Amino acid sequence: MTTAAWVCLLLPLASAAVITVCGTLIPRRAAAYISTLSTFGAFAAAAVAFAEMWSKSPGHRAATTTSWTWLSAGPYHFGFTLLVDQLSIVMMLIVSGVGSLIVAYSVGYMDGEDEERRFFAYMSTFLFSMLLLVEGGNLLLLLAGWGMVGLSSYLLIGYYQERASAIAAAKKAFVMNAFGDATMALALFLLIQHTGALGYASVFAASPHGGAVANLIALGLLGGAVAKSAQLPLHTWLPDAMEGPTPVSALIHAATMVTAGVYLIVRCHPLFEKAYVIEDLAAGLGAATLLMAGLIALVQTDIKRVIAYSTMSQIGYMFVGAGLGAYPNAMFHLMTHAFFKALLFLAAGIAIHAVVGEQDIRKLAGVGKLMPFTKWVFLIGSLALVGIFPFAGFFSKDSIISSALDHGWYGDVIYAACLVGAFLTGIYAFRLFFIVFTGEPSAFTREHFHRHHGQEGPTSMLWTVGTLGVLSVIGGLLQFAPLWHPLTDWLAPVAAPIVEPTNAEEWITSAVAIAVGLAGIAVAWAIYGARRVAAPRALPALEKKFYWDELYDIVWYRTSDLLARGLYAFVELPLIGGSLAAVGVVFGTGSRELSLAQNGLVRSYALALASGLAVLTVVFLAVR
Amino acid sequence: MANFLVWVVWFFAAFACLASAVAVVSFSNPFYSALALIGNLASLAVLYLLLSGEFVAAGQVLVYGGAVMVMFLFVIAYLGDRTDQSPWSGGPSWQVVGAVLAGGAILAEICVVVGLKAGGFLEKPQHIGRSFGSPAELGRAFLTDHLLAFEITSIVLLVAAVGGVVLGAHARAVEPDARA
Amino acid sequence: MHGPDIQWYVVLSAILFATGALGVLLRRNPLIILLSVEIMLNAANLLLIAMSRLHGGEDGQIFAISVMAVAASEVVVGLGLIVAMGRRQVDLDVDKLRTLRG
Repeated sequence: MTTAAWVCLLLPLASAAVITVCGTLIPRRAAAYISTLSTFGAFAAAAVAFAEMWSKSPGHRAATTTSWTWLSAGPYHFGFTLLVDQLSIVMMLIVSGVGSLIVAYSVGYMDGEDEERRFFAYMSTFLFSMLLLVEGGNLLLLLAGWGMVGLSSYLLIGYYQERASAIAAAKKAFVMNAFGDATMALALFLLIQHTGALGYASVFAASPHGGAVANLIALGLLGGAVAKSAQLPLHTWLPDAMEGPTPVSALIHAATMVTAGVYLIVRCHPLFEKAYVIEDLAAGLGAATLLMAGLIALVQTDIKRVIAYSTMSQIGYMFVGAGLGAYPNAMFHLMTHAFFKALLFLAAGIAIHAVVGEQDIRKLAGVGKLMPFTKWVFLIGSLALVGIFPFAGFFSKDSIISSALDHGWYGDVIYAACLVGAFLTGIYAFRLFFIVFTGEPSAFTREHFHRHHGQEGPTSMLWTVGTLGVLSVIGGLLQFAPLWHPLTDWLAPVAAPIVEPTNAEEWITSAVAIAVGLAGIAVAWAIYGARRVAAPRALPALEKKFYWDELYDIVWYRTSDLLARGLYAFVELPLIGGSLAAVGVVFGTGSRELSLAQNGLVRSYALALASGLAVLTVVFLAVR
Repeated sequence: MANFLVWVVWFFAAFACLASAVAVVSFSNPFYSALALIGNLASLAVLYLLLSGEFVAAGQVLVYGGAVMVMFLFVIAYLGDRTDQSPWSGGPSWQVVGAVLAGGAILAEICVVVGLKAGGFLEKPQHIGRSFGSPAELGRAFLTDHLLAFEITSIVLLVAAVGGVVLGAHARAVEPDARA
Repeated sequence: MHGPDIQWYVVLSAILFATGALGVLLRRNPLIILLSVEIMLNAANLLLIAMSRLHGGEDGQIFAISVMAVAASEVVVGLGLIVAMGRRQVDLDVDKLRTLRG
């Protein structure tokens, strides 16, 4: 089992290394196939590990393996440890499975790009980093993987490096993630100080109960999770990250990297349970984010940005689940979300690819008439997103919402927020569907649409999207909380939920959620589908994304700029520059003063000799 | 009686020595200064005799008085008196004060140092034999204990002779230098 | 034969030395300066011979003779320089020779 875990981890790294080292010696397609094969190989290894784990009894499914002591400093020793247990195998399967489908898709999407090799090397690096994050056996390796996925995200967002907007978006993503990395590092420092180790078992056993330290630790970890998962208030980087190619948006900013925050909370749930205030804070942030993102998504005009805000909103649901203590439900929603969100992004990618890279939905309007396959898979994805029976989202989202009912008045507020969010999801998802995929094609579409060898897109793009469509249909059938729950049972030894909604609550929530979702779809159909009602004018607050970017600009950028200018004018120039100049001045004037002693008069030199003799004699007499 | 005579001679010689030294330093005409130095050397020779250094006294008169001072007088006569200002003026203002202070300090220090280091010994000169300070004794010392000093001194004299010839030669046409 | 003790000679030598030093520092004519240097050398000689008498050995007198030889050589070179100065119509005034300044 551990061998399979090592293979799963190292195959993408090997492919990245091979592509990098071979450089231009191998053709571009070869790089694409190397990367794809390595990812499928990783998935195969993960499947093997899963099969081995399945055959063991529930108490013996976890295994750790340490290859060498990575860091040894005084009394602290951190090994390069992999942990393969029920939770990490779920993440490994999702990451490698969905990842391999997306990498296969990008074989067709990135065909013809000049820098294809670089793209696939980066994708393999990302997969390695993400697998390191989920397979890491101690918090240090998790942090290492955390940082490396941030790096890969930066590299891939800025892939189109001639575009200034892409570079700026990459920097923004990296800096905001670095903020989260810093808070996480501080939490790790506290853990080392109070427990002396970073391995999961020792940390969970020895960390302090309640009190300021436990809260700080949980807060630090939450800060990292919020930054990585683009929740309030560190969310502004995710819409800008759509500057990257569509497969990147699908893999990193929908299916895997942004869910790392949820994984962190679920993995470290003992630490969060000892600081329940922070857990409630996580749930609250998730609820606020899902509402805000849903509102903003109503007015976006870029197809990828709508889906990005949708991602933000759905991760809000996962944070609600993890914050309330319904860990298996959050992981289940993570899994189904990976399916249908990747599906939505990739299907949008087929449309974008067919219409010369255009992403504005007003220009793309009506392309569904020319691309029926894409239209149907996009419809499947949207229905899964809204949570309509029997598609995947229905099963996972409702379990999370119903978990909020047992949490006092705070839980009731979150419950209401989640239902409003479901309503908004219905509206924005189907606004997108009705505008882009129904109705008559716009003039732009008619002019620029082109088929790829008679198909809607390259074959690799079509079969991967189809596979994801199938998964979005049947993926939810894995668990339906009131009736059968294999996932919860599977994860119970590692992440047992602390809140179990009753069957009655589940049924009621499901019914209400479906009703609310259908209401949203109806509203969207009325405005955008049948065009019976005129679209309301967009509020400026929504169009400006609630002014978060402007706020951060003032708070962080302008103050730093002011501080930098002030320091330059008052410290750098006078003090540092001045001191350097002063050194020169001192030496100059000193030399000039001293050179007055060289006046050329022999007699004054002789006087100096005589006086020196007199003084030295006294000195030697005194010193003896 | 002999003691008294010695004291009288000593005082005369010492007085002459000091007076001629002051005269050397203060005359404006260098010719007079050179003549005063001759007087200084002669009185010093008397003092050496009082200290039983007969050979040294003779050498002093012969070498210093007979050779060095003659050279001095030749050069002074050749060059004439070229200073056109009063002898004590000129130079920076602190020169005189500094010089007096330094000179006084050196004087005091020599006395203090010798007194501190060797105060007890100065009372009791050694008993010396008849051959003390004779040419034979000095010759033997030069050729046995201090042979190296003897040889090096001869080299120094050679170098000085060569230097004198070089400095005095009319090797090439001499143009008047610009005033410094 | 008694006479003054050695410390009288020491004091006399010190006064001679100081006088010579003053002459070096305060006169501008290089010839007078050389003469003052001679005075200083003679003062040292006097001290050496006095100490030789004190210790009863001839080492001091040997040194004094060497000093005399060296002083003679130095006078040769110094006078050569002064003659060269005189030939070049330079004023015999050390204050006028100040081109080597900083």
